[in-house]
Amino acid sequence: MSVEVTVALLAWGTLVGLDLVSLPQVMVSRPIVVGAVAGWLTGDLATGVTLGVILELFALESVAVGAARYPDFGAATVGAVVAGSGNEGHGLIGLAVVLGLVLASIGGWTLNRLRHANATAVRRREASLRTGDPVAVGALQYGGLLRDLARSMTLSLLALLSGFALRTAPALPDWASTGLLMVVIGGGLAGAATGAIRNAGRGRRLKWLGIGALIGILLLVGGS
Amino acid sequence: MKAPLWRAFLRLFSVQGVWNYERMLGIGMGYAALPLLEEMRRQDPVGYREAVARQAEFFNAQPYLAGLALGATTRAEYQGVPGDKILRLRTALCGPLGALGDQLFWTGVLPALVSAALVMIAFGWTGVAVLGFLVVFNSIRVAVEWWGLRTGWASGLEVSQVLHKSWLPRAVALVGPAAGFAVGVALPVIGGWLVADLDRVVMLGTLGAAGVAMAMAWANPRVTGLRFTVVVATILLLSAWMGA
Repeated sequence: MSVEVTVALLAWGTLVGLDLVSLPQVMVSRPIVVGAVAGWLTGDLATGVTLGVILELFALESVAVGAARYPDFGAATVGAVVAGSGNEGHGLIGLAVVLGLVLASIGGWTLNRLRHANATAVRRREASLRTGDPVAVGALQYGGLLRDLARSMTLSLLALLSGFALRTAPALPDWASTGLLMVVIGGGLAGAATGAIRNAGRGRRLKWLGIGALIGILLLVGGS
Repeated sequence: MKAPLWRAFLRLFSVQGVWNYERMLGIGMGYAALPLLEEMRRQDPVGYREAVARQAEFFNAQPYLAGLALGATTRAEYQGVPGDKILRLRTALCGPLGALGDQLFWTGVLPALVSAALVMIAFGWTGVAVLGFLVVFNSIRVAVEWWGLRTGWASGLEVSQVLHKSWLPRAVALVGPAAGFAVGVALPVIGGWLVADLDRVVMLGTLGAAGVAMAMAWANPRVTGLRFTVVVATILLLSAWMGA
């Protein structure tokens, strides 16, 4: 992978890390978007999309709401695409998804640390905030954005390094890479389905989820 | 007032820029309020500082609907409403704006559009799926956010009644079933797409893994797809490396 592509991936990972919560939350941080763009950058769109789709299934399980702790799939998807792109067949897909999941969990942890760091910064300026100092409000806002920028860039760097490391790791035996592929697709589908059922509750939404699933199965059977 | 409203709207894109466990969106709201309070700064500098302090207090809501509270409370500042009443309004809006916004966007529009994109990817329309998802989601988001800020600004203290009578509760009632339907269609279709070129044994193994993961998640809600996958994958990798 060239230096230009690596720098572009680092910039992309940083941008999508910022997008998750801080700025501008336009959903470029969703794995299907991150995976497609990272795949295009690495010259392997098909693998980028496949990895984005699998990681999106895991992302659908968690709702990124307010104070809840949730994984950060942005840079994680970039790392997974770096690890999995440019390989024939399904050899590294399972391992790349596992790397993505681990990175997403680390990303979620860094988000929690960022929130604590923001709270510390706010406490330091408590006196100015009490007097309604607009400069303090602006400084806190820009400080928070800069902290998230640093967090996202560090996470992207980690994702790239671990992605490159995985590309050079010794190949897994066939049974292990096939097993990993089954587990990551199965786990993703289970996660998305469980999240959908939990969100549906017991009302009309559950009924529509069932109707949708029936139509989905018919489309699947009809298309095969 | 259009230019300050526009500047406040742009600042709402970073309303969670300094999200923290103490004031949550508070600082972001204070930052977005500054352009709207600019006129007050010239007319009543003391009142302005008090208003900035209030706007940066604790606030929590779904970020795309935060503009409704921002518009309403800054308008109330100009109407000479007592400070404690403005703070009570802010607090009272947190619950409804959080609940309605989460249902509308996080468990409604977002999973519905992601699911539609997944189905399109399965049918081979990757570019349209990704671009379409971004364009449609952000069109809805920007329209709702702008509507919220303008409605809040026009309503002031009456914002709760206006919100109650608005299209928002009806939209929330509709988008939930639509999202359920879209996710329902997407999961079998995208599952089929992912295993399409695998042999039958691997397909059955994938279904088996999904079944075990769902059963475990059902028995214990702490078991998520992510945790299940990482644990099973770790066991697999350790077995592979020890056997090598």
